Amino acid sequence: MSAVLGTAAVALGLAASLLGMLTLAIGLRKGNRAMLRTARSYVWLVLAGAVLATAAMQYALITHDFSLKYVADNGSRSTPLLYTITTMWSALEGSILLWALVLAGYIAVMARHFRDRASDPLLAWATLVALGVAAFFFGLMAGPANPFRLVAGAIPLDGPGPNPLLQNHPLVAFHPPMLYLGYVGFTIPFAFALAALITGRLGEDWLVETRRWTLFAWGFLTVGIVLGAWWSYEVLGWGGYWAWDPVENASFLPWLTATAYVHSVMVQERRAMLRVWNLSLLVATFSLTILGTFLTRSGVLDSVHAFTESPIGPAILVFFALVVAVSIALIGWRGDTLRSPGSIDAPVSREAAFLANNVAFAAFAFVVLLGTIFPLLVEAVNGDQLSVGAPYFNRMTAPIGFTLLFLMAIAPALPWRKAAAETLHRRLLWPAWAGTLTVAACVAFGLRGLGPLLAFGLAAFAGAAALRQLGVSVRAARRGGQPAWRALFGRSNGGMVVHLGVVLVAVGLAASSSYGHRAQFRLAPGESATLAGHSVTYLGTTVEDRGNKRTTSAQVRVDGGKVYEPALHQFPFGSQAIGSPSVRTGPLSDVYLTLVVPPDAAGTVVIGVNVQPLVVWLWIGGTVMGFGTFLAAWPGRRRPTATPGPEPVAVEPERTPAVVSS
Amino acid sequence: MSRRLNWGILALILVASLAVGASGDSGPPTEDQRVDRIADVVRCPTCRGLSAAQSDAPSAEAIRDEVRRRVQLGETDTQIKDYLISRYGEDVLLQPRSRLVWVLPVVGGAAAVIGLVLVLRQRRVRPGRKVSEADEALVARAMRSERVAQ
Repeated sequence: MSAVLGTAAVALGLAASLLGMLTLAIGLRKGNRAMLRTARSYVWLVLAGAVLATAAMQYALITHDFSLKYVADNGSRSTPLLYTITTMWSALEGSILLWALVLAGYIAVMARHFRDRASDPLLAWATLVALGVAAFFFGLMAGPANPFRLVAGAIPLDGPGPNPLLQNHPLVAFHPPMLYLGYVGFTIPFAFALAALITGRLGEDWLVETRRWTLFAWGFLTVGIVLGAWWSYEVLGWGGYWAWDPVENASFLPWLTATAYVHSVMVQERRAMLRVWNLSLLVATFSLTILGTFLTRSGVLDSVHAFTESPIGPAILVFFALVVAVSIALIGWRGDTLRSPGSIDAPVSREAAFLANNVAFAAFAFVVLLGTIFPLLVEAVNGDQLSVGAPYFNRMTAPIGFTLLFLMAIAPALPWRKAAAETLHRRLLWPAWAGTLTVAACVAFGLRGLGPLLAFGLAAFAGAAALRQLGVSVRAARRGGQPAWRALFGRSNGGMVVHLGVVLVAVGLAASSSYGHRAQFRLAPGESATLAGHSVTYLGTTVEDRGNKRTTSAQVRVDGGKVYEPALHQFPFGSQAIGSPSVRTGPLSDVYLTLVVPPDAAGTVVIGVNVQPLVVWLWIGGTVMGFGTFLAAWPGRRRPTATPGPEPVAVEPERTPAVVSS
Repeated sequence: MSRRLNWGILALILVASLAVGASGDSGPPTEDQRVDRIADVVRCPTCRGLSAAQSDAPSAEAIRDEVRRRVQLGETDTQIKDYLISRYGEDVLLQPRSRLVWVLPVVGGAAAVIGLVLVLRQRRVRPGRKVSEADEALVARAMRSERVAQ
């Protein structure tokens, strides 16, 4: 039954997307406003299709309907309910369904939000583009990635369950949906960008319309990436949180271009510059989400030649090529009208700092993209196998990271247009002292290494600069008779809160990657070992059969205090035992325990111990970034009360029409 | 304190601290450090994307032991890596030896920085306009009130 309902729902979604596109196309061609308005109902049908298909899939999973191939391959009777629900995004077909659901949701919210403007051609085109993307994903489900395919032959009585790593930690219920809310959210600004190109309405109004959508998508993606790192740390057991794995890079690439965009878009709003560049960044962000799906879902990473074996790889690749080609053609076609009326006045100014920021982010994205696909390219060209791993990415991206921290420190202090030396002195002096004294204090406390010291110094510099900006806002709010908390809302203030989150993440990254210690100890019950000032005492082991797995847990006392239980899980269908680490989290350092070798005949185990400082600040920083995005997206008071920094005093109206009209 | 002196002292403290802090890097590496340094850039053959230093897998441990043995025999880093490549294949190195992957970003980055500098230097020549005294007074007043607001 689920199969019938699901297949019908997918067909409904696909048909409604296509019919909606057709209606919009005809309405646009004939200038028929009534048709543009009717097209909105198709959006609700698309949403209905996606919701019904998801319901059918969840029903099939929860009722263990093994007549569905997806359930038979990924479900199991012994999997706990939570992981049965998350099984929907534990494999290819289901994650495409999640994608379609999120996309349909976004399109519906967009149609509802702009309901008064349904007959506006800009909006009609944007809806058409978004429905086109939806049609592609429903098409995938109707064809190569059908989640409702039936098993061939006899219906199995039970299945293997999802990948053991995906049923080990509740974060799996949050990380993928968050990530998808981010990924898919960029479809809306992308659709508006294409609509602006097609209609020729390339002024700044489509930017203003999609500003908040971009911010929300960016915030979800940020939180999704941090949750992914946290999941990796809590589940994978190697003690790290970021391995520059292609799957991680695929989520990080659109984040980089989107981060560049949320900065450079301010230059366009203020100065009407960088129009082509901003459109390109939106197109790049959206294309990179598609490319990421291709890289992670087509099997191309296992071998260049494997991906053609499943039809989904070529399908996504063709769609990616189509998106890039259409976008480039449109930008080329509108090239003349895109010429920016504004120009940079001085190399030391806010807009120049944003330009440098964009160059740095673009370089960052280029390095990550090159490192990710280089092995594929080399293998495709001459058949050689090589790997590009963490050492490459760390070395190549560290200088870019330092540059970005530096820019983050000075840019908020720079006024638009042109900065006077006096202004810089007044605004940067104490943040610069904060950075310098931080470095001096770290050295005095015996910390060594150029990389981490630079990172700490720049982080303190940037953090102090952000705090200073917030302080200015608070004082301005007080003067305006508003409560101080009001000064945290609005884009620039929320942005400063995001910067503080970035500072925390940078400190956590630098400290944990530079000053960590790791060791393995072979311990008999009652024996202790010491690493980096922390003692671990092995007490004993327990074995427990629980539902779908057999768990061997070691009891380890850390620093004479609480007992932690790193474990190994044996799943009936999994060949390899899956370790689950146990972490003592603290504000200064984490003690990360893994059970490497279960007890032998004499009861001796091997315990992996990993002591890393300041790891928890990565998660706190990620939370602050998410919170800051929320503050930034909150409808803020218009300037000048909320925004510190001088405004352009006099603009030339005929050269920067957008500034005047806004 | 004059503005220049203030920044000068700041720069002096910063450079001195960084110099002291970076000096801790030098000195001949210990055996452990060398093993770690090599294991860091070598892939664990049975895991995906992890280095031999990070992984607890038996194959990673085997590589660490082999590296340590060869370090004790007095082999250079390059000799040890050559051995590992001959044993496990070129893709055991996480830092590829192919030049292209290193050169491309550096060239691209340099081009981008040069482009940025060119854009910033290219000031648009503005038509010479006569600014009236009233306008100048307006600007001066705005600047003053801005300063007070700060």
